Amino acid sequence: MLVSVLNGFSVGFLLFVLAVGLSIVFGMMDVLNLAHGALFLCGAYLGATFAGGWGGFLGALGLAAVFGLVGGGLLSLMTEPLRKRSHLDQALLTLGVALVAAEVLAIVFGDDPLSVAAPPGLNDSVQVFGVSYPTYRLVIIGVGAVLALAVYLVVERTRLGALVRATVADREMVSVLGVDNRLVKAAVFAIGSVLATTAGVLGGPIYGARPGLDATVLILALVVVVIGGLGSVRGALIGALIIGQVDIVGKYLLPDLSSFILFAALALVLVLRPQGLFGGPVGTAGAR
Amino acid sequence: MEHPSISRRRLLALFGAAASVPVLAACGSSVGGGGGGAPAGGGGGGAVKVGLVVPQSGVYAALGTDMQRGWELWLGQNGGKFGNYTVETVVADEGETPNTGQPAVQKVLQSDNVDVVVGLVNSATALGVANLLTESKKLLVVTNAGAGDVTGAKRTPYIWRTSFTNAQVSAAMGTHLAQSGFKDGVFALAPDYAAGTEVIAGFTKTFEAGGGKVVGTAKPAFGKTSDYQPFLTQIQQSGAKATFCFFSGSEAITFVRQYAQFGLASTIPLYGSGFLTEGNVLPQQGDAALGVQTTLHYSDQLDNPANKAFVESYTAKYGESPSCFSAQTYDAANVLNRALRTATALDGDSIAGALGGIGTVEDSPRGPWTFDGQTPKQNLYLRKVEKVNGTLVNAVVQDLGQQSQPL
Repeated sequence: MLVSVLNGFSVGFLLFVLAVGLSIVFGMMDVLNLAHGALFLCGAYLGATFAGGWGGFLGALGLAAVFGLVGGGLLSLMTEPLRKRSHLDQALLTLGVALVAAEVLAIVFGDDPLSVAAPPGLNDSVQVFGVSYPTYRLVIIGVGAVLALAVYLVVERTRLGALVRATVADREMVSVLGVDNRLVKAAVFAIGSVLATTAGVLGGPIYGARPGLDATVLILALVVVVIGGLGSVRGALIGALIIGQVDIVGKYLLPDLSSFILFAALALVLVLRPQGLFGGPVGTAGAR
Repeated sequence: MEHPSISRRRLLALFGAAASVPVLAACGSSVGGGGGGAPAGGGGGGAVKVGLVVPQSGVYAALGTDMQRGWELWLGQNGGKFGNYTVETVVADEGETPNTGQPAVQKVLQSDNVDVVVGLVNSATALGVANLLTESKKLLVVTNAGAGDVTGAKRTPYIWRTSFTNAQVSAAMGTHLAQSGFKDGVFALAPDYAAGTEVIAGFTKTFEAGGGKVVGTAKPAFGKTSDYQPFLTQIQQSGAKATFCFFSGSEAITFVRQYAQFGLASTIPLYGSGFLTEGNVLPQQGDAALGVQTTLHYSDQLDNPANKAFVESYTAKYGESPSCFSAQTYDAANVLNRALRTATALDGDSIAGALGGIGTVEDSPRGPWTFDGQTPKQNLYLRKVEKVNGTLVNAVVQDLGQQSQPL
């Protein structure tokens, strides 16, 4: 049981790193980026390619960051002409990008599922609560917590963060104040994408890299965003941790219902609090 | 569009659609049947056209490659002839699901006018094309799809099989574990889809018949589970002395690695259906797979002259060792050759009749086997993952004897 809770945290923090970018881009710019999962998978394949030593692992993280910046910038550019159109048009565009990316990855890396070894020293198990637990997952909890804290401080305590939060709250008003929305959007898009590819590299040793993983993690991230509320860092964090616990502890307690637990939780939140746990009232998805 | 509530509904609709994609993808395969076909007289020369329907894309593509190689290797070694017929092969892509598999079978039957269809990885496809074959009276030799119904309850005279049935493989393990000191408790788990259910049922039946007790079962969601920790904790708390499982593809890799990472491998030995460690998943599992024991009707480590020759020529030609998928398709060519020596015509009834009379296939890499009904009665082997010269292999520990499809 305790191991399950611990494991729920490692999954939860990984999910947070993945979902926070999606949440802020969606909440702030109303762009539903369905290519977010593909970014994660790119990171996972980068990790698989360079796996083995610490050099390869850190190198993959660096490359993933560059890739995320470029990818996020491009996605921001591509969705720009559609900013006045509906969510559905943007979703279709990013879904198309996601499909193309998935196909390209399948061509480059093949159809075989790849497994990724954790860096040396983290690839074995330690004793926690009297049972073995993979060292790497413990490290993920630490790294995820640090990243969560960093993102939270930047968004909540810096001038830049204030700009982002203001844009989420009222885009037109920020624009009237002389700030170019498009730059804010591009920057947020890029940072969110960097976090997604980073999550891919970090998640590689847990989830591996395989065709279809992009869709799996995208759905998880969307669930996190819906539960946590749009455009809120705190919401994304709490949402991710809840989903991690619901997924892991739920499967442990109710194994026969493992396929449904996640979506049952989602349905419950949608019924009781449609704007998400930390979302603002309808119309002004707030970052608090 | 400013209203998050609207966007959320759209979003839900979208990922509802997204969620259905892997489900659709999980169940495809195709069966082919011959359309026109050459009316060549009994063994008097002429050509036989074969539709080889195997996955060339999707998650089973690696299996398709192995199957096609097995097929081509046999033909290459035997002058490209079945009896007096020159073999012409048409390859079609089965894909992952019946959505792609059934059209592929239909295509080779109706557009390419093949006489015989060979292949099929997916059981749903094999079951789905039964009518197509019955209507066209063409023969299908299934070289993987392991659902019992294909040659059992939903049998048609036109579908034969050179592979295995899911329960046949696991039943052998049930008997073995009951006899080897694990009567007190085994935990059984497999994904919650048709093949997983058949495997567990086959295992449980023979294990309990031998006096064994299943102390717990779990059914992780198929294709959606990438973290097995909750199930691993259940296994530890069940007091099980051993674990029996069935996974394949990426799930086999993930499960075996996590089983070792969470420290179960050293305390609760892992047993499984052979697909857990067969083919391209084994190198990916790495040292985590060491010591895992499985049952299967084949291993490239089998010590018999036919297999040694098979492995040697296969490795020389393709640069890697064959899998059971290669051997199953190699054998399909072998039995068709035997049948076409005596068949009076190329329609399904004639070839099926001839297949029934071929007797023991004594030169198969898997060891001698016979058709029992329309599916093999064959030896099952207990295999253990070991490292030989730095490579992980399924070493043969014990011959568990000949067994047929369980009733």
